[in-house]
Amino acid sequence: MTLELAVRIAEGILAFAIMQQSVEFIRGQHPEKYLAWLRLMLASFLLVGFMPVWMETGLLLIALILIKRFQGPYNGGSDTMTLLVLLCLWLSHIASMLFTHTKLWQEIALGYLAIQLILSYFQAGWVKVINPEWRSGKALENVFAFTAYPVSQSVRQWATNPALMFYMSWAVILFELIFPLTIFSTVALYIALFIAAVFHLANACLFGLNRFFWIWPAAYPILIWFQSRVF
Amino acid sequence: MFKFLLPILFPSWRFFSSIGPSPRFDFGFIKYTDEQPEVWQEFSVLPDKIELTKGIVRLLHNPEWNERLYINTCAENLFDQYSEFREQEIARRILWILNRHNQLPEDYPYFCYRIRVITNEDNLVKDEVIFSAKPFLVKRGVQ
Repeated sequence: MTLELAVRIAEGILAFAIMQQSVEFIRGQHPEKYLAWLRLMLASFLLVGFMPVWMETGLLLIALILIKRFQGPYNGGSDTMTLLVLLCLWLSHIASMLFTHTKLWQEIALGYLAIQLILSYFQAGWVKVINPEWRSGKALENVFAFTAYPVSQSVRQWATNPALMFYMSWAVILFELIFPLTIFSTVALYIALFIAAVFHLANACLFGLNRFFWIWPAAYPILIWFQSRVF
Repeated sequence: MFKFLLPILFPSWRFFSSIGPSPRFDFGFIKYTDEQPEVWQEFSVLPDKIELTKGIVRLLHNPEWNERLYINTCAENLFDQYSEFREQEIARRILWILNRHNQLPEDYPYFCYRIRVITNEDNLVKDEVIFSAKPFLVKRGVQ
């Protein structure tokens, strides 16, 4: 995949994810409600590829206002990934405008995003595998039994099945730890990204983390480009 | 501003590294600021199950759930360090959701809430109130 194509696909998915987030805010409170309308408009233009660098500049400014408003990200990791994708894509455009004779700086900006995507899985797996409670399945049992994440009582009941918790824990840990190795093979990477998307879908269904499901795939085209560029 | 931006530019992806105390919110209404509510109601009681069609819709659009996650984040930050901003944010957000569900009683001008935490250590489950917010004047229709 070429750099330009990866950026365009990533921008399309990012724009859709921001539109999804904005529509949720529109039903909310002020001032984020009014900023959401502006965000929705800018993301719509970004979706169709209209002046992407200016749309991304506007979206970055709004993101800064929202971070100040909420004194940090509103939706934890999903907001972090949204801003990271947005910033790296914006930097890649700025680099292409400033350094017309080389793609190096563009590649550095996008490479940073690819590495953060890999880390987002690997580090999450690492902190789990070094924790005995995760290795025994007890931590996941506590997630289902006590945290605010399960979306219904029937999902909370999953905690009463220790064997299920054990196998689910290890499936997640192994997948997250193995993920970086998949960049050595194109086929393995495509399979890993498909499994990752299914993993985010499961998180959305079980824990209501719908924003993660839309924003993480925005970085996938950049990782696919990165894999073909490096290997 | 910089302290909020740094963790975003150089993120730590330590999702669920440890399962800390889990907050629960109770709310009540009072007539005078020096009173305690007669009844504490639990906020955000989970439905028994989510239908498939509702689940698909929530995948695309789930503002209330994301508000609840944000309220949770505010509470977790409050556990680390008291902040008037967080205390008010929780009140504003709970009131907004209650207002949307027409759950604001007419004859009680003040709203208050408390946060309980549920911990599980060695299969010993504890449920303790660790934070009680000051009363907030209910501004109907503007939450």
